[in-house]
Amino acid sequence: MSSHDVTVAGYLVVLLAGVILQLLATRTRAPIPSLGKVLAWAMSTRTRRVGLLVAWAWVGLHFFAR
Amino acid sequence: MKGRRGSQVVAALTGLREPVVVVLLLIAFFTWISGKPLDGLLMLVVGVSLAWDTARRSRQGASPESGPAEGSPAGAGPPPAVARRRRLLALAWLAGGAVYAVVVGSFSRYSWPATVAVVGLGVAVVVTGWRGPRRPRPAPARLPRTGLVLWGVVLVTGCLWELWSLLEQPSLTTDSYAHPTISTLTDPVLSTWAGRSLVLAGWLWLGWFLVER
Repeated sequence: MSSHDVTVAGYLVVLLAGVILQLLATRTRAPIPSLGKVLAWAMSTRTRRVGLLVAWAWVGLHFFAR
Repeated sequence: MKGRRGSQVVAALTGLREPVVVVLLLIAFFTWISGKPLDGLLMLVVGVSLAWDTARRSRQGASPESGPAEGSPAGAGPPPAVARRRRLLALAWLAGGAVYAVVVGSFSRYSWPATVAVVGLGVAVVVTGWRGPRRPRPAPARLPRTGLVLWGVVLVTGCLWELWSLLEQPSLTTDSYAHPTISTLTDPVLSTWAGRSLVLAGWLWLGWFLVER
């Protein structure tokens, strides 16, 4: 397994962990909120709301802006 | 005069106690040194402004966490005329978003037209969010701490993995096949008009989702 494969596998593991958490949140009674609820909670205060929106803007800047 | 300036500095430093501010300043630093000075400058401006705003609100005795329209009860559903207007407005936004994704997707990445379009929209959304939620809404229920921690672990792990890949590159501005960052992995998709438009549509949808929370 090359370094490239290990690095990509790392991203996939993180993605898979997110999918599993979302499934646990929506399909079971586990004490785990869905991602939507976490984002709604995060958007309920000024600093967290601005932080999240800036992170969103940063993604666009990072991939498209010079 | 000197004492007043000193108290202003102390007040500004209280804004740095906000973890979000620290994260924004760290992002600004890493973005700057990885060859994206515009991104870094914007992050720096927002981080410093948020620190100042938090300190100012704290000094005035207001909760530094509250926004102007937060915490109001949602009440009953809107009347039919309002609901119809909202649906029409949503359709107009959807059409506008589709046009934006197709037009901006036609621009080359890192070109000035793409930069202006993305920076303009990003700044507008952040400024809108700064003023508070678009509509009054009930305060969200408390979430289970275990679940929040688990989501936090996933997010932080993803960020650290990306950072590790970035630091393993030959230099911060040179891509590595052995240790690709997410940007490197998405390059093939973003090299086509259709790919750029699809990613922009997803970015717009996420922004809309956040603003509506």
